[in-house]
Amino acid sequence: MNLADKPETFADRVRAIPGGEHLEMCYSCGTCVSKCMIQQKVEPEYNPRRLLRMVMMGMEEEAFKSPTTWLCSECDLCFPACPQEIHISGVIGAVKQLAVEAGYESPLEAVTVDETKCSGCGICVMVCPYEAPHLIEKDVDGEMDTFSEVDVNKCMGCGTCVAACPLGAIARPGVSNAELVQQIEVKPQPNGVPRLVTFVCDWCLRADDDVSLLESYPDNVRVVHIPCTGRIDPEMALRALRSGIDGVLVCGCAPGECHYKRGTYVSSCKISLLNTMLGQMGVGDGCVRFVQIGTQDRGRIRNEVDGMLEHLTAYKEAV
Amino acid sequence: VAKKSKAQAKPKLALYWAASCGGCEISFVELGLRLIQASELADIVFWPCIMDFKYEDVEAMDDGEITATFFNGAIRNSESEHIAKMLRRKSQVMIAFGSCSHTGGIPGLANFYDKESLLERVYGTAESVDEASRGTRPQVKTEVPEGVVEIPEFYDHVKTLAQTVDVDYFMPGCPPVVEQIWTVLQVLLAGQLPDKGSVIGAEAKTNCDVCPREKGGSSQRVTEWKRPHEVELDPDVCFLTQGVICCGPATRAGCGLPCISGNMPCRGCYGPPDGVVDQGAKLISAIGALIDTDDPEKLQEIVDTIVDPAGLGYRFGLANSVLSELKYK
Repeated sequence: MNLADKPETFADRVRAIPGGEHLEMCYSCGTCVSKCMIQQKVEPEYNPRRLLRMVMMGMEEEAFKSPTTWLCSECDLCFPACPQEIHISGVIGAVKQLAVEAGYESPLEAVTVDETKCSGCGICVMVCPYEAPHLIEKDVDGEMDTFSEVDVNKCMGCGTCVAACPLGAIARPGVSNAELVQQIEVKPQPNGVPRLVTFVCDWCLRADDDVSLLESYPDNVRVVHIPCTGRIDPEMALRALRSGIDGVLVCGCAPGECHYKRGTYVSSCKISLLNTMLGQMGVGDGCVRFVQIGTQDRGRIRNEVDGMLEHLTAYKEAV
Repeated sequence: VAKKSKAQAKPKLALYWAASCGGCEISFVELGLRLIQASELADIVFWPCIMDFKYEDVEAMDDGEITATFFNGAIRNSESEHIAKMLRRKSQVMIAFGSCSHTGGIPGLANFYDKESLLERVYGTAESVDEASRGTRPQVKTEVPEGVVEIPEFYDHVKTLAQTVDVDYFMPGCPPVVEQIWTVLQVLLAGQLPDKGSVIGAEAKTNCDVCPREKGGSSQRVTEWKRPHEVELDPDVCFLTQGVICCGPATRAGCGLPCISGNMPCRGCYGPPDGVVDQGAKLISAIGALIDTDDPEKLQEIVDTIVDPAGLGYRFGLANSVLSELKYK
């Protein structure tokens, strides 16, 4: 038998895509699964080890339907842990590419663009960690106009573009501007009790007791869940301060651990700039804070919220 | 909206300047021969910069006698506030005309400082102050042999027109461009103004909507912010992709892009677009997301290349910003 005549297998096709070439180095130890936040937080069926096995065994349809193919956000927490140094998200990305070519669609809810607002500035194209948006030309009443269009199979729903869009033209269900504005309300408190809004990304808290702690705060601490701190919009923080809220705490993943690759870099830039602006105006000293909580930082969220409340209490007394 | 106060009477227009540079008046004068055409359709009854009317002439008018006032300039002192209130009473339609009146403009940048530190700089420490008079401060009332001299009181901070009186329309720009003025005049005199509170003489979206420059992709994120004079700018490509901050993404369209056509980034004078509360915060939300590095130290270095984010994002809008609200609540 001539090896060149061997029919191309599913594994061959995955390997042929850049990123997929390390497929066969996997010996199924499962370390990747133990590192994965998706497996822990949203989808128990999520399993990179099993997906790689399916590919090697030619289980094409099963692989294309597997949540593992679609939910991986390329955070790469598994990469440094893999004893075989496989860039696992690259292999998963190769499978996803073949799945899209075969007509499968992402089960994730993508962001939507409101063309009546979109100015075609391309900011979303530049900021997206997944190259999901792109600019298209469209005929509007006889004139060509430029709009952003989102590839629903690439969008992971982090909301970085939603916050960056200068016109609020991009929305993601649950975290649109209007929905977040509603959530940043904190009831007036007795004298001296600070009002705090805490934005927490969906991924930075690994321990269950840290997550449940968030539910236990009294009503002077409002916790707002966001998919990623890339969704943080300084305008939202200013609105909160204007409404009489004393402080805004933003909690995201540790440097290099962001679930959506760029979110923490983006938010740390924005909050740094916002604090510079507040400082230039001489208001709100230390009232907006960004903390990056690592997967090993169990219990840290409690200290960060307490520390922020302490700071705000002192600040209120001093002002 | 522009009701005729007296049957068949020629509409009356007023123009005023408060804390402003005079650029808005120049833009109006740029109407040229069309100004004569306008004067055939309406009488200009008050325009201190150009024509010889006095405050008493306005005081003598009936309430609502003026069809529309184009009020430029921010509210800086008791005189600008007094005239704003008087013109509001006398006018059916009050238009905040130009950046200073609309969002505080360049005078609004004074809100970074308080009254005391401004006066100290101008009358105390400025190099040009004569030694003998150093430290002398202007007084609202000064007794002289002939009586009492009174000058307007300098306020603690700059306000927009809408923070002072009820405003019907907002016409942005530093200055509003002449073609927009002409359009608004025609709409006004035809009695076809839109709903109260609207921004007129401008578009709903941002400058990027009309900017012909080639927009960026994900490979063109920014690793260093540069100022326009530090780089040879490609006239056909988006400034942001060249690492130069342009306020265009957070600025309402309508100016016709004179700065951008001159290969200079937008400075933001047309104010925020529809739906945006705070122009500067929106700008940093966009440009902050463009920075590209995965090294936290390098990240801060890139952020620090933006030396004056508030001055950049609120060059024309500090008095109208949430920052000002927080400081002067």
